[in-house]
Amino acid sequence: MKSLFQQPPGTLLLVAFMVMASAFTTQAQGPRIQLGNLDHLATKASDTVDVTIDERLIQLAAKVFNEKDDDEAQIKKLVQGLKGIYVRSFEFDVDNAYAATDVDSIRAQLREPAWMRILNVTSKKEGNVEVYLSMNGPDITGLAVLSVEPRELTIVNIVGPVDLEKLTKLEGNLGIPDLGVEAPKKRKNEQ
Amino acid sequence: MNEEYLWDKSGEPDPEIKQLEDVLGTLRYQPRPLQLPELTNEKRKKGYLPWLAIAAALLVALFAGVVWLKLQSGGLKQNQEAVAPKSVQSPKSKVTPSTTSTPEEVVPENKIVQNNAFALHQRKDFVAINRSRQARTPAVQTVPSKEALLAKEQLLSALRLASEKLNFAQRKVQGPAGNPIRNQHKIG
Repeated sequence: MKSLFQQPPGTLLLVAFMVMASAFTTQAQGPRIQLGNLDHLATKASDTVDVTIDERLIQLAAKVFNEKDDDEAQIKKLVQGLKGIYVRSFEFDVDNAYAATDVDSIRAQLREPAWMRILNVTSKKEGNVEVYLSMNGPDITGLAVLSVEPRELTIVNIVGPVDLEKLTKLEGNLGIPDLGVEAPKKRKNEQ
Repeated sequence: MNEEYLWDKSGEPDPEIKQLEDVLGTLRYQPRPLQLPELTNEKRKKGYLPWLAIAAALLVALFAGVVWLKLQSGGLKQNQEAVAPKSVQSPKSKVTPSTTSTPEEVVPENKIVQNNAFALHQRKDFVAINRSRQARTPAVQTVPSKEALLAKEQLLSALRLASEKLNFAQRKVQGPAGNPIRNQHKIG
């Protein structure tokens, strides 16, 4: 068997390129979930929400937020530094129109150590919601929310340093219905 | 002449033969161990080739990375220019040029006309533009591109959905223990 240095230079060049390319791809992907395997559900769903916004579009959108408007200024701050926002939401007319394997394909990507489940809510009436975080040391590098209901399947994937507190407070602003959740009181030392 | 000497070296040798033997005998085969020559320059050159190839590959990859980053930043700038193109005023409402307005400023929607980003791009390519003069001249207004407005709409839609789901989860788990999402966020 030939050693590495006995290979033709062209082969070495190709291998080096492949290594570089894979490194670039891995870095670019980050805590992004592959949602392509849910696309077939769009044909069964009565309503579909498909949002794919990469870093370029986020920056583009941030430019048109009106900073004089408090709500928009708040959202502009929230999205600063984000690498991407990806949403797939399917609403069905009948119960269980999607297969368990569809949900499993998402859950399979949300495993430790890359992801950490911080919340798991199970409700027979309102469905299940799971919240996952991707951490790099103390910093949040990604968020995933998986909502599974009999007639709805929603996955939200935010890539980048998302501020959960600000994101949670968004409800009630910009036409979002306020569900009556009281914001936790700030500690004195945080003020 | 004694021919036996020539045959099997028996008997007296002929003086001429003896002389020839003495002269040519120095060139006869002498057994000795094999001595390989030291590494030649050619082999040394060949030894450098793999390292040269690796260095070249790294350089090419580095160059490709720089070009990619340049293209990325170039695309971003282009989009920013598309967001803030040169002002196009609607016939109904004329906007008075203001010296205090900045390129970042967004004017009300009734005072702007949507511009085609592609047409702007083409115009940039084929028309000479004095950029230094442009920089001195304050922009009158900015027109958000369709792409930017669509991105904003999608962004808001996604954030609404994420916030709604997070609030639902928070509402379900919120109890005497406080806000778990907030607590998780405070890690580290």
